[in-house]
Amino acid sequence: MRKMLAVFVTLALIAGVAVFAYRPAPAGAQGGGTIEAAVTYGGAPVVEKLKVNKDTKQCGTEAVLEKVVVGANKGLANAVVSVAGAKGPARAAKAEIDQQGCKFVPRVVAMMPGAIDIKNSDGILHNIHTYSTANASINKAQPKFKKVMTEKFDKPEFVKLTCDVHSWMLGWIAVMPNPFFGVTDAKGTTRIENVPPGKYTLEVWHETLGKQTKDVEVKAGQTARVAVEMKK
Amino acid sequence: MPARARSRVVRCVPAGGGGMPSSTTLASSLGGAAGARVSDYPDNTGLGGHHRPRRPARAASRAPVIAVIVAVSVVAAAGTAAAQGGDAGAGKAVYDLKCAGCHGEKGDGKGPAAELLEPRPRDFTTGVYKVRSTATKVPTDQDLFRVITEGMPGTSMPPWAVLPEKDRWNLVAYLKRFAPEKREEAPKRVELPREVASSAESIKRGREMYEAIECNKCHGDQGRADGPSRAELKDDWGHPIRPANLTKPWSFRGGASRTDIARRIAVGVLGTPMPSFIDSVEKPEDVWHLTNYILSLSPGAPRYATLVTVTSVAGAIPDDPDAALWKRIAPSHIPLMGQVIVDPRNFNPSIDLVAVRAVYNDREIAFHLTWDDPTESTGDGTRAFPDAISLQFPPRPSGGAERPYFLMGDASEGVYLLRWESGKGVGEATAHGPTKLAPLAGAEATGRAVFAAGQYRLVMKRPLASKDAARTEFRPGVFTPVAFQAWDGGAGEAGPKMSLTSWYYLRLEEPESSRRFVLPPVVAILTLAAMLLVVRVAQMRS
Repeated sequence: MRKMLAVFVTLALIAGVAVFAYRPAPAGAQGGGTIEAAVTYGGAPVVEKLKVNKDTKQCGTEAVLEKVVVGANKGLANAVVSVAGAKGPARAAKAEIDQQGCKFVPRVVAMMPGAIDIKNSDGILHNIHTYSTANASINKAQPKFKKVMTEKFDKPEFVKLTCDVHSWMLGWIAVMPNPFFGVTDAKGTTRIENVPPGKYTLEVWHETLGKQTKDVEVKAGQTARVAVEMKK
Repeated sequence: MPARARSRVVRCVPAGGGGMPSSTTLASSLGGAAGARVSDYPDNTGLGGHHRPRRPARAASRAPVIAVIVAVSVVAAAGTAAAQGGDAGAGKAVYDLKCAGCHGEKGDGKGPAAELLEPRPRDFTTGVYKVRSTATKVPTDQDLFRVITEGMPGTSMPPWAVLPEKDRWNLVAYLKRFAPEKREEAPKRVELPREVASSAESIKRGREMYEAIECNKCHGDQGRADGPSRAELKDDWGHPIRPANLTKPWSFRGGASRTDIARRIAVGVLGTPMPSFIDSVEKPEDVWHLTNYILSLSPGAPRYATLVTVTSVAGAIPDDPDAALWKRIAPSHIPLMGQVIVDPRNFNPSIDLVAVRAVYNDREIAFHLTWDDPTESTGDGTRAFPDAISLQFPPRPSGGAERPYFLMGDASEGVYLLRWESGKGVGEATAHGPTKLAPLAGAEATGRAVFAAGQYRLVMKRPLASKDAARTEFRPGVFTPVAFQAWDGGAGEAGPKMSLTSWYYLRLEEPESSRRFVLPPVVAILTLAAMLLVVRVAQMRS
């Protein structure tokens, strides 16, 4: 009898753990598809250099202004790829951007409307100066002891982020209306997963090269590969 | 009844708080009864005027009288609304006449004069205003009214207190029309922490905070606007902008009172690189410690002078600008303007003030000059030039009102210059106009300059006597005309592009002489002797 009980308890525990461990895949995973976007640019990269006259310990002696970063096979980095019109739940993770080496890291961050943590890993004065139209623009000092400042951007738009202390610093916060977006990596690629099946317009935005669109059809469980070439 | 109404005017006007137009306008435009309603009118300035409860009617028999008062008051209240809120239509007429020249007919800051101004005139269509007392972007009506009334020190925006108060309120109403969508959110005043009075301790804490939050990045270590980020600063429109020189509070755009300064630190200056610090100091009251520190950097108010007194001293005059002698002498502050008479003109001069101390002994005259220059430069010959300063004198002061042309003389009459240039040092020159400068041979002038934390301190010395007709001779008791010119070479100033003054006067005070101890007793003795003589003669005759 006791043995039986022990077996039951064990089974029950296993079952419990199993139930706990089993999470239904997100709706998209069952019925959704994936978009793999490859963004290219045929032109020359635009990377400028500037002599630094202060905070050289943190900033280095030369600031690199990465206006257009082109990698292998013409892959264009820092482009925001988004699926216009798609609907989906909000992303759980809070967006964040860091100020490190007197640069915004990453240079381009995409998020859904809401809060973002702006970090100051440099431990020197930066000021968060944004340029935007839909959201109120802000200009707040972030001295060395302010490690994180949380700011809210509630309306979709591309927000320009600058620092007046280090005028070369430039970053972008892409506030997107739905969770289906990605920022291209050094190879110019990004993956957008769990997109509900359907026909959409894929939008690609780059800070200096502007916008391009391309039609895309997403099928359940499949990967749609889209190549977009940015033009000046 | 009028007396009753008037008594209310007196009682109610102070209750309106700072946001209300003063009783003069109300009284003149609306009559005494109108003023009675001021405190009842909702304060749309966001200042939250204190409302006093009205006295209940005391007697029923007075009811008709009160009814009339109320009726008049209601009508008047509507009128007050117009005065307080301003009439945008009437404001437009004033605007087109007085403001459009710089700010543009469309309010976009692109008037015909805009190109020449730095800082540029405000673009009202963005609804962004530099000086505000609010935590949000929208300024209160009172903020706008104040800038119109007091102007913006250190910019081309003059105070318009000369306009009737009603016109200024009408202007406020008209300005808001340029960006109506920006006014949807109601202005909300910033809550400053409790004021901390100035003390040595508070100033010390302020300095600590100044270093911790790195104000020096733009404003410089000693607040002289010479921080390393200075050259990079741009406003939201991409125009270059200079940080404030914190040692000159009289040039602060938004006023120099303690509250003004604390507010600027708390909410920043919108549309410029100056960020808001209220969430970025260690403790909120640090805003006040910073205010106290900033005010400790300035001499209070400049000691403007039209006559520079040259003090007589005994013994040698030190070359060192930091010598103790110079600290004992109170400076005369001389304001400088940009040279805008001949090309190239200097509409936005860098140097606007020189502090002058002057002494002489039996042999030499010496000038000690102190001026702020945010960009030390010996010149690279292309965009930067050597920093320089000169004292200008007529070679032969006439003693009358006739003097050479103040702009470095002209073809017919030259001037003598005692000047210093970085890299070259002190020298003498003759000029017949701003581009016709000839160094004098056999110069005997000497001196030394020190540059530190955005400030030059310079001593220039010369014999009192002149060697030739080209040089001015300095004699005690004579009013000698003097003018000043300065160049911030690091800001691209050279040749006619300079700051300058018109003629001022210099006077060498009479040396202290021992004659005052000798002459009076001699006179007294002689007088006594004469009296005795008279008495003696009279006695002998009788």
